[in-house]
Amino acid sequence: MRRRTLLGLTGAMLAVGSIAGWTLTRDGGQPVLLSARNGTDGKHYVVGYRLDGSQVFATPVAERCHDVYPHPYLPLAVFVGRRPSRESYLIDSRDGRLLQVLASPPHRHFYGHGVFHQDGEWFYTTENDTTDAGRGVLGVYRLEGRQLVRVGEHATHGIGPHQLLWMPDNETLVIANGGIRTEADSRAMMNLDAMEPSLVLLRRDGSLVSKEQLPERMNSVRHLAVAADGTIVSGQQYEGDAMDRVPLLAIKRPGQAFQHFPLGERQRQIMNQYTASLAIHDELRLLAVTAPRGNKLFIWDLDSTELRQEAHLPDCAGVAAVAEGFVVSSGQGRCRLFDCRSQRIASTPLQLPAGLWDNHLRIL
Amino acid sequence: MIRSYSLRIASGGLLTALLLSACTPADPRAETSKALTDGVLLPTYSQWAEADRRLAASAIAYCADNQTTEEAREAFVHAQTAWAGLQPLLIGPMGEGNLAWQVQFWPDKKNLVARQVTALLNTKPELTQADLDGASVVVQGLSAYEYILFDKSIDLGDAAAKQRYCPLLTAIGEHQQQLAAGVLQQWQDKDGVADQLRRFPNERYAEPSEAIAELLRVQVTALDGLKKKLGAPLGRQTKGHPQPYQAEGWRSDTTLANITSAIKGAESLWLGANEDGLRRLLSAEQADLAKRIDAAYAELLQQLAGMNQPFAELLGNDAGRGELDALYKRIDSLHRLHQLELARALGVQIGFNAHDGD
Repeated sequence: MRRRTLLGLTGAMLAVGSIAGWTLTRDGGQPVLLSARNGTDGKHYVVGYRLDGSQVFATPVAERCHDVYPHPYLPLAVFVGRRPSRESYLIDSRDGRLLQVLASPPHRHFYGHGVFHQDGEWFYTTENDTTDAGRGVLGVYRLEGRQLVRVGEHATHGIGPHQLLWMPDNETLVIANGGIRTEADSRAMMNLDAMEPSLVLLRRDGSLVSKEQLPERMNSVRHLAVAADGTIVSGQQYEGDAMDRVPLLAIKRPGQAFQHFPLGERQRQIMNQYTASLAIHDELRLLAVTAPRGNKLFIWDLDSTELRQEAHLPDCAGVAAVAEGFVVSSGQGRCRLFDCRSQRIASTPLQLPAGLWDNHLRIL
Repeated sequence: MIRSYSLRIASGGLLTALLLSACTPADPRAETSKALTDGVLLPTYSQWAEADRRLAASAIAYCADNQTTEEAREAFVHAQTAWAGLQPLLIGPMGEGNLAWQVQFWPDKKNLVARQVTALLNTKPELTQADLDGASVVVQGLSAYEYILFDKSIDLGDAAAKQRYCPLLTAIGEHQQQLAAGVLQQWQDKDGVADQLRRFPNERYAEPSEAIAELLRVQVTALDGLKKKLGAPLGRQTKGHPQPYQAEGWRSDTTLANITSAIKGAESLWLGANEDGLRRLLSAEQADLAKRIDAAYAELLQQLAGMNQPFAELLGNDAGRGELDALYKRIDSLHRLHQLELARALGVQIGFNAHDGD
């Protein structure tokens, strides 16, 4: 919704003038779900489906992708390569046409997440500086015509950065520094004895606003959701002992410190030290979190922190807010729509292909 | 007026519905899920709950000197092997949270069971049920029970020792009985797990194939778990140095009995109670795979039946270790047959995001 603010529209009109040939209209009516997905043939795809199950596109790509981020007003989206990929893909979100294979520069690889700036000109990714394994880098790319060009980088002020999102001012980034060092072409964790996870707020020019940590050093801060009022929620993956009692969700409300979200002991245990994706529904003030190891989708009231839903969904993966509530995907079963508009949350299976959906989805 | 009309429609409709349901070929996946629920899952959960009921009764009788140590140990072995047989069927409440840890604590790399039992009884010599229910999972389950009944450092022939450990034995028995009864209840409740595996769609499963997929996944997870349970004492993670105390049930020498029970549990999902298990979902073209899986179960169970030496002895000599290595390879190949070939044949995706690590 924030993409349709007045500022965004002003930016849109300016940009449309500069990029001839693009139209502002989106595929009418039905929301389109964007996600990375594997085919039953074992190949990697980037796909778009309307929620009624009709396919918009399915484009094969060389590397498995992780998150996707649409352009604020042009029919473009970047599917970001899953770590330690050196490729991301700029596609036309109307037909899936591959417009650019975006290569990371030497000694850098992607971590699976990236975001367009609301003016549509800039794209930012989290990257690994493999000359200093795990040093977090914010890659800065500029959209020139139909190509992204890397123009610079900033430090993320942390190790092993993962998801990044905009704060409501659309100028400040919140970055989850997972705290784990990995080398080029590797997913092996090098520093479990000396992890340094952190939550960083960073201006677009690379200047640090704040850096905060949770008490547990092995609690890797990985995924994020940001509410319209600036409330940040993070989902952790704990790398310590399976028996350790560590909360896996944290929250930073406006003007407050980064701290644990009050998580019920039952939910904590079910998560099995692992959370995947987060989404916030701004109108309903709800927080949804997928826990693929626990095979559960959880929904909380963001303000009262009351648990609203605990639904069984094997290997649940991506989650995003839609008007009715949330759409959730799964690596193994059918995608579901959770209608949260009344006190009793109801789930409906969607007629999209079942299973093999990757960790994140976005609704266009 | 409307009511009588709809009644007439209903009686005619009922007949039509009966005829239709008799003629419409049912979804084989729905049928299989229902057959496994009634023929395998519910009976096995009931047997486990019954074994724990007997365990609780045995603890009370033993502590009242109405049972011998041998009888108490038998009740433990029965409960332990019933639990092992349930491993490939850990769907629903038992597979969530750390409930399984409350039943058994494995692997116990730091001998936490012995240390925590000692610490608990030192701080609470007059241990109550509430004390145990609020204590660490390490002392709540069968592993602590086994430690008391089988560990060489504890002489239960000594009246003072028996008096010291008995409150814990009876509390564990009760804790296990209640836990198992509660889980069984969740299976049997209206719209409980059994109902969800019988009628589709429901809140848990959008369609029968989701239920079949989950049944296969818990089976695969258990087979993988058996590789770890055998691999740990064989030293597969420790450069080949055998680790006898990493074996599941080393104190009671139930290691191989547990493996046998778990393999039989997995086989019951494969075959079903009346040839109505996962096997029948394979088509005629997949008959070769079905035969290979049949053979893998048969060979494995045959080898296990012939292994009569205590596990620690087998681990202690070259010939025995050779046998255990062969056993490991057979479990490994059974695991692969399920994880790769059976999963592909049934169109089931095993693990994707849960093992993603991103």
